[in-house]
Amino acid sequence: MRYPRWYWGSFTLPGSVWLAVFFVLPFYVVLSVAFGTVDPLFRLPLPVYQPWWWSFATFQTTLEKFYAGDRIYFDPLLRTLMYVAAASLICLVLGYAVAYYTARHAGRWKGLILVLLISPFWISYLMRIYAWQSLLQPDGYINDAGGLFGLSPVIWIGRPVTVVLGLVYGYIPFMILPLFGFLDRIDQHLLEAGRDLGAGSFETFRRVTLPLSKPGILAGLVIVSLPMFGDYYTNNLLGSTSTSMYGNLIDSAVGQAGQGPEAGSLVLILVALVMIPMLYYLRSTRRTTEAA
Amino acid sequence: MSRDPRERRSGLSRREFLRRSIGAAAVLPSASAILAACSKPGTDTGGDGGETGSTERVLARPDNPVTLPMKGEPIPTDTPIESGPLRVYNWDAYMYKKVLKAFEEEYGVTVEWTTFNNMEEGIQKLVAGQVQADVFFPTTDYVSRLVEGDLLQPLNHELVPNLEANYWKTFSDPGPYYDLGWRYTVPYTIYTTGVAYRRDLIDDAAAAAAGYDLFFDPAQQGAVSYYDSYRDALGMMLLRNGVTDANSDDPAAITAAKDAILQMINENEARLTINGTYAKLPEGEFTVSQSWSGDIVGAKWYLPKGTPESVLGYWYPPDKKGLVGNDTIAIPADAPSPRLAHEFLNFFLDEHWGYVNFADWNGYQPPMNSIVPERLVEEGVVPESLSLAVLGEENFTLGYLQGELSADADALWLNAWSEIQAGG
Repeated sequence: MRYPRWYWGSFTLPGSVWLAVFFVLPFYVVLSVAFGTVDPLFRLPLPVYQPWWWSFATFQTTLEKFYAGDRIYFDPLLRTLMYVAAASLICLVLGYAVAYYTARHAGRWKGLILVLLISPFWISYLMRIYAWQSLLQPDGYINDAGGLFGLSPVIWIGRPVTVVLGLVYGYIPFMILPLFGFLDRIDQHLLEAGRDLGAGSFETFRRVTLPLSKPGILAGLVIVSLPMFGDYYTNNLLGSTSTSMYGNLIDSAVGQAGQGPEAGSLVLILVALVMIPMLYYLRSTRRTTEAA
Repeated sequence: MSRDPRERRSGLSRREFLRRSIGAAAVLPSASAILAACSKPGTDTGGDGGETGSTERVLARPDNPVTLPMKGEPIPTDTPIESGPLRVYNWDAYMYKKVLKAFEEEYGVTVEWTTFNNMEEGIQKLVAGQVQADVFFPTTDYVSRLVEGDLLQPLNHELVPNLEANYWKTFSDPGPYYDLGWRYTVPYTIYTTGVAYRRDLIDDAAAAAAGYDLFFDPAQQGAVSYYDSYRDALGMMLLRNGVTDANSDDPAAITAAKDAILQMINENEARLTINGTYAKLPEGEFTVSQSWSGDIVGAKWYLPKGTPESVLGYWYPPDKKGLVGNDTIAIPADAPSPRLAHEFLNFFLDEHWGYVNFADWNGYQPPMNSIVPERLVEEGVVPESLSLAVLGEENFTLGYLQGELSADADALWLNAWSEIQAGG
């Protein structure tokens, strides 16, 4: 049976409408706030919807705070890049090991392990971080445990390492699940072929498994790093202002009267920044698809 | 000059204009919001003519008190009491549910409780029409702007007799500096901003000798909390630096206050929090904390079992030359139940219920004639170690009050705060 040309195309309609309503319009509102003004009475943001009235002054001032004068936004940006890179890398190393074991060696425990991996989601992330906050107190159980080995109490809250580990804790399941999906789908015959051609376990992993799981690695990195760039609550609960991340700048600006356009500008700059890894991911997956 | 909205000749009132424009920012733009935004936002198309806020605002100060313009008439005294519900729009956990229940029982109505996290959020939702309220709790620096924006209605004093009967004259005769003659507001709570500390770790004499410098004490490194609130944070550091204008617009003074806060954060690992005093100090996470007097009085509810209240200490300049302030209760202009709202105000200004709300719940003192330090200590509401957290009427003549800032001064404060938030 032949379908009219519009038939298959119409399948994209619900998704397109969804995107238009919940992405394009809100994004346009962000643009209108960033390039808009503030009400002089309460200094609340007043979006300007007509592009011909947009003012780019606040955007420019916000941008300059990254490179001119005291560069007050440069440190949080650099910090964010470093924290996200470190946390993503740790997620990858730990997540790959877990996903590899689950896909290759878990056998009948595979289902149980997957359930356990998802189980943290049964409890709100906020509640879990609150629990960590309590455990990491100067007189919390972590320091108590350290004391058993003769270690002095450590102030954990407000330290970069705590924030990075908090990010890892929050996002690692998002790394494991796509990696598991890719590793689980690798054709066993390819691994056997590698062995037949004389490669040892490590060599098979290096030359067969790892290249074949590259799309999973990239997908995992994109999935964990993009939300980390905008994360502010992990630092709010486990960090301090000396570990402020980019998301905290936005959070702070949103909450202050008169800073609505600056908050919008920070969002736009972040969008531009996260486009870089996103474009790399798209380019890389397109190449993989073409090669296949 | 602004007029009553009902007298406007044509076009949108300022409130309606703000409501539509800001409402559009708060939610996805509705068709009406987009249509309302056909004119460039920031340009008032209402009856006032000209640019919104284009006239120089008079900033209320204790030495320059303001009488707010009457926007319409108060409701008549014989207005029947509405059947409710009464919609209360307040800070979270700032009112005792037992007292609300008592009000419900006395008037046979239900109270609907909606909260906001900060004043900006509270105002935005009110302006955008996302929240319709009968009773609102604005801070003093927003009162005149709320009146200018046609968002509050004048009070009928005959319906609120408890204010003059039970409360300090400061708030009724002639009335507070931000609202002489209490045309739009009644006081809710009063507070000073001082230094809370753990007395089991820091000696009272040492705390008194250090004063604000306790935040910089290396012995407290990693256990210092400071409010995540720009006016309170920078305001106290101005005083610590010897600047007694709590509303300073001097860039050098604000920069010095900002640098001091950054020094405290970087060298003494101080953390910016909101619950540092009432929750974390009693739990032992912090030993020193910037503190509103009400927070430290309410901290006793968070002490671990077996820890005596006497571990809580509070320092405030003994000459009472420190930060002091109060919160207010007002009735929005479009309150659906204005008479019931007046009854609510009067109920909370009642000696008994005002006291119960303070003593059994929130720790923030109402400026009542009957509340004196001796009574509070005697009745166990405030431990003796916190007697400096109890205010007297003289606090409002000796202390430093923070009022509304000009847009330029506010930008200076906010820029300094942005730098602190960014980690310096």
